[in-house]
Amino acid sequence: MGERRVVITAGSAITPIGHGKADIVKSLKRGVSGVKPLRRDDLLSEYIHSGVFGTVDYPVEYDFDRRFKKTMGPVAFYACQTVKEVLEEAGLDPDFIRSGRLGVAFSSTHGSPTVQRGIYRQFFSGSSEEYSSVNAVDYLKSMVHTTAVNITKMFGITGRVIASSTACTTGSQSIGFGYETIKFGLQDAMVCGAADEYDTTTVAVFDNLLACSTAFNETPHLTPRPFEEKRDGLVVAEGAGALLLEEYEFARRRGAKILGEVIGFSCGNNGGDLILPNADGIKATLLTGLQSAGIGPEDVDLISAHATGTKMGDVIEAQAMSKIYGDRPPVVALKSYMGHTMGACGAIEALMTLYMMEEGFIAPTLNLEKVDKRCAMIRHVTEPIPDAEIRIAAVQNFAFGGVNTCLFLKRFDG
Amino acid sequence: MALSRESIIHDLNRIFAENFEIEDPDPDENLSQAYEFDSIDAIELLVEIEKILGFKLTQEEKKQAVEIRTINQICDYMEGLAEDRA
Repeated sequence: MGERRVVITAGSAITPIGHGKADIVKSLKRGVSGVKPLRRDDLLSEYIHSGVFGTVDYPVEYDFDRRFKKTMGPVAFYACQTVKEVLEEAGLDPDFIRSGRLGVAFSSTHGSPTVQRGIYRQFFSGSSEEYSSVNAVDYLKSMVHTTAVNITKMFGITGRVIASSTACTTGSQSIGFGYETIKFGLQDAMVCGAADEYDTTTVAVFDNLLACSTAFNETPHLTPRPFEEKRDGLVVAEGAGALLLEEYEFARRRGAKILGEVIGFSCGNNGGDLILPNADGIKATLLTGLQSAGIGPEDVDLISAHATGTKMGDVIEAQAMSKIYGDRPPVVALKSYMGHTMGACGAIEALMTLYMMEEGFIAPTLNLEKVDKRCAMIRHVTEPIPDAEIRIAAVQNFAFGGVNTCLFLKRFDG
Repeated sequence: MALSRESIIHDLNRIFAENFEIEDPDPDENLSQAYEFDSIDAIELLVEIEKILGFKLTQEEKKQAVEIRTINQICDYMEGLAEDRA
């Protein structure tokens, strides 16, 4: 078997700045922020210092049968809706969908925290009457691979299931592992992506680590501020992103519209601290990714940085990028538009990068008024670049646990 | 507590409509085949049956429900449980 190329043939996302490509591109071009005030939840919100959240504040219409809805928590609704849109856009033959040659690589940070919260509420209520209502359905709604298997159920997908749950690299791993699965001939197509729902527990975790933004509670749209002097932490967000990857010849033969190509993926670990980012670990991952793609740093036209807006994380990422790329390729921090969509961020940011590649523009990093001098050694995008020629782009994501990933996307020129 | 067959069917119809979006199921239809009622629904129904009967079912009593396929069989099952506990 020769080298199998892997192409992207459909994509959709539900994000704080819009649902689907048209809305998202419009928001990126207009500099719209999706960060809103944190909603009260009568549990944690009153104890959390951060008062902001990247919120999906528009209605999402779901047209799912009861037989599907009954095992879905909010995170699975997001996941299944984006995948439904992807499969509709792709127009795959129903026989192929059920053939075993289509697999799913999809996950979330930790299933459905909303459902888990309900379970714990019953456990700790002290009422034996309540206990019996914790049942299999709650588990199916809340388990860590709930998105992947609700997708297989709803669409009758019978191939491989990969539900890698690695916090903020969940989505990038889904795409990367999906890419490798096709590249090495194990499947002909993969539905890839990730989702995370509205969850104040995650905000509380980062808040306790002093990693959340707290200084802009009255002006949510001014945070997060990746690479900026006054940045004060990340903003937790919700959303979902899904892509369909196909083996190139398979896609070509069926006449699929090809949106872009995945040409490389790397995944490594810092091998030490589970929280602090590590410049050497990031550099190693970026280099491995370039080798995987068979390109040099000079070939990369755009970098989507992980850039959460934390004090140290942005500095270390900028240092690592600088060592590999110097100050040539433009760097954008897409979290500045919507906050950190947690497990979904890799999938959403890969899609946004693909959209910019397709449309030939680069959105600037929002709120980047004055670059922190410790992050100034790379080329920041502070103004829109309307006529950008993006042939190859890198999408970087890093996670708690010391996991680093890098995806390389290429424009499809036929 | 004595439960009439009529009141059981009334309660079941309400539960099937509210919990499972199944309106007025035929009492002799196979619920799985006719309405896609599955094992997950069955577990949820057992919780509702406990509420109607007003007592907790033992593991053994729950296992007796495995073979149930129709509304009439659910009624028989519930009447039997109520009688045993009377």
